[in-house]
Amino acid sequence: MGVIDDVAQVSRGWRWLRRSLVPRSAQPHTPTPERRDFPTGWARTPAARVVRQAVLRGGIKPLAWTETSPRVRGRDHLDGLAGPVVFAANHASHLDTPLILGSLPRGWADRVAVGAAADYFFDARWRAVSTALAFNTFPVDRHGGRRVTGLTRQLLGQGWSLLLFPEGSRSPDGWLQGFRGGLGRLCVDHGLPAVPIAVRGSFGAMPRGRGWPRPGRAAVSVRYGPPLSPEPGETGASFTQRLRTAMTRVWHEDATSWWDSLRADAEGTLPEPTGPPAPRWRRVWEATRPPRAHAPAPAWRRRR
Amino acid sequence: MSRPGMVLEVDERTPPLLVHAGESVHLQQFPLGTRVVYPPDSLPGVGDVDAAIHTALESPHDSPPLRELLWPGMRLTIAFDDISVPLPPMRPPDVRQRVIEAVLEQAAAIGVDDVELISAIALHRRMTPEEMKAVVGERVFRSFWPERLRNHDAEDPNGLAYLGQTDHGEAVEINRRAAESDLLVYVNVTYVAMNGGHKSVPVGLASYRSLQPHHNVGVVRHSAFNDPPQSAMHHSYQRMGAVVADHVRVFTVETTVNNDPFPEQLGFLNKREWEWGVGDQARYLALRRANALAPTAVRHKVWQATRAPYQITGVNAGATDPVHERTLATLYRQQLTEVDGQSDVLIFGLPYLCPYNVDSIMNPILVMCLGLGYFFNMYRNRPLVRQGGALIMFHPVPWEFHQVHHPSYVDFFEEVLAETTDPAQIESKFEAQYATDPWYVHLYRNSHAYHGVHPFYMWYWGAKALSHLSEVIVVGGDRRSCARMGFRSASTFNDALEMAADSVGHSPSLTYLHNPPLSMGEVR
Repeated sequence: MGVIDDVAQVSRGWRWLRRSLVPRSAQPHTPTPERRDFPTGWARTPAARVVRQAVLRGGIKPLAWTETSPRVRGRDHLDGLAGPVVFAANHASHLDTPLILGSLPRGWADRVAVGAAADYFFDARWRAVSTALAFNTFPVDRHGGRRVTGLTRQLLGQGWSLLLFPEGSRSPDGWLQGFRGGLGRLCVDHGLPAVPIAVRGSFGAMPRGRGWPRPGRAAVSVRYGPPLSPEPGETGASFTQRLRTAMTRVWHEDATSWWDSLRADAEGTLPEPTGPPAPRWRRVWEATRPPRAHAPAPAWRRRR
Repeated sequence: MSRPGMVLEVDERTPPLLVHAGESVHLQQFPLGTRVVYPPDSLPGVGDVDAAIHTALESPHDSPPLRELLWPGMRLTIAFDDISVPLPPMRPPDVRQRVIEAVLEQAAAIGVDDVELISAIALHRRMTPEEMKAVVGERVFRSFWPERLRNHDAEDPNGLAYLGQTDHGEAVEINRRAAESDLLVYVNVTYVAMNGGHKSVPVGLASYRSLQPHHNVGVVRHSAFNDPPQSAMHHSYQRMGAVVADHVRVFTVETTVNNDPFPEQLGFLNKREWEWGVGDQARYLALRRANALAPTAVRHKVWQATRAPYQITGVNAGATDPVHERTLATLYRQQLTEVDGQSDVLIFGLPYLCPYNVDSIMNPILVMCLGLGYFFNMYRNRPLVRQGGALIMFHPVPWEFHQVHHPSYVDFFEEVLAETTDPAQIESKFEAQYATDPWYVHLYRNSHAYHGVHPFYMWYWGAKALSHLSEVIVVGGDRRSCARMGFRSASTFNDALEMAADSVGHSPSLTYLHNPPLSMGEVR
């Protein structure tokens, strides 16, 4: 076996450029890796920002826009908004971050830090360094941690907006999962507006387990909703609930129309994007439908 | 706390697994569902080894402290295991050196003048001065070599003492100096469960006559080497130990090491594959390249120069039985993994080293002994493979011998195995001739050759496996060497599975014993 065969065997076996897997029967015996602190301050220095802008605009965005067919709507909601804000998006794929960063207006994209799971993206130095450089990530402890809260505060103090995924991790079936409370508390504590973003189709384009978008330029949709500000005296839990409703409305707007979503919201019939109460395969089946395959006809052409 | 051993079931997420094959390693993809037995992670060492030795000597089990057994004018003999353990040899200082120095410190303080040190080689080759120095340390070597530090000589008619026989009629004859001492201190490294205990003195210091009662095909076939209660061989050792104890006071010091046989730069060899980081993968690739590019002689030299960073996991001293009981408990904690039932096929890769080719060549007979004698017997309760199952081993089995160390092996391979591979026939027809051949005796006593009968013992070591298995297949093995030993050679692992289908069908259950680091199955 020559050197090329050896390298090919190792690259396949350990899934280079992808996360290597642990055999199922070995998982109970794998201790939780010790959490390590990766400094990410360097990723926000002027030099790193220049590199990131080049990487994002010259590499990641063209790649994402070539491999998928994104449709971006609702950016006008950001007009007149002053940072910092918290961008809150649903999360179903590793494509979500490139799609959102690529769709944000430049002024915003250059000033956004992305919350990334500390136990996933910061468990190996090379992964931490590369994601911090490319996406300006900072570690978020999914189980709560004082150190991370402190870092968030520091970022906001420096004027960075944040991109966070309130579900905590990628959806296993493409539908919206429950929200964790951290984002709501953060907005309430700092009086920050949250901008809901609905990303649809990314699950079908590159679900969990895939390291590259599936061929065929899958249609994806990124829709920004109107910013939501905490009200005086509002609790974190209440704000989280409002944010979820807002995101549901944006999702519904993307799936139907702005008018339909407004009416459904007013009538209290806004369907939660949690998928059909059916076996997993059917949920996955529904979630992988291209978002534009069944685009509704304009409101003025429909009969009621 | 170290993680316990585990049995992995190969699934689609499992990376290819490391397999040793002589002076090489490679990654092998195993079929889905293959069980892989991993040993527990390395146990932590005792920390301060000298303090542990001091405590063991001061608070021995079922024995007064060592200092109370010493007096001026006494005859003190210290016997110790030779370089066949541990594998690879330890990084200096060897634990035997530390124990021997501690014993000698006490003896010197009390005024013991008549001290001799004997390496308990039985019928192994004599250790060279350099090897001896590596085991006992420079200080001891300079003080005692060569008059009072020597190799045991199992063929010295004046150097042996017949102590009598056991109630089973087994002759007990051991080194005269040891037998006639006021105190015999035995310093041991128990590397596998078959060693230590009463194997140390009645075997390590024995003559050929005294080895015959247990080193024979009948006894081996009724022995589970690493499960002493189920081993006829160990029962024999036990009986002989009782005879020895009637003649000489034995103070046993047993030590155990953890499961770190490879140095840091080869640390990935000690790891479970899915835990390999980028550095481990790079080191693996580098090792593969270096191995492939290095000339054979250089590769051999580099592998043989490997020294293990073992840590000491236990030091126990005192009467042989209670000491050995504790030693085995530590050893099992390090090596034993529970396995649910037997399988149709047992698989293992054979590394470059076995107890009898340290600084030497692993000839085909030693390959057989390591596979069928040692690795096959890495179980407790019952074998990892069912009766009538198949064994698949990885090794190149080159047809090569060390002319100085293994002269009788050459003849055994050329003459004896050419006629038959049946251990019982070999024993009855050829053993006496080789055991008493004056040239082999001469080489054993004066050169650095294994005794003339030693290749027979190696062959007997596999006797149980030979009668248990229906098929032995060696992946990558030299066809002529394998055929001479009655094995089949396969070019690839898939070919081997195909060949094994003749005896175990097309969907056999597979168990891969991931070894080294040493791994042993407790088969339920």
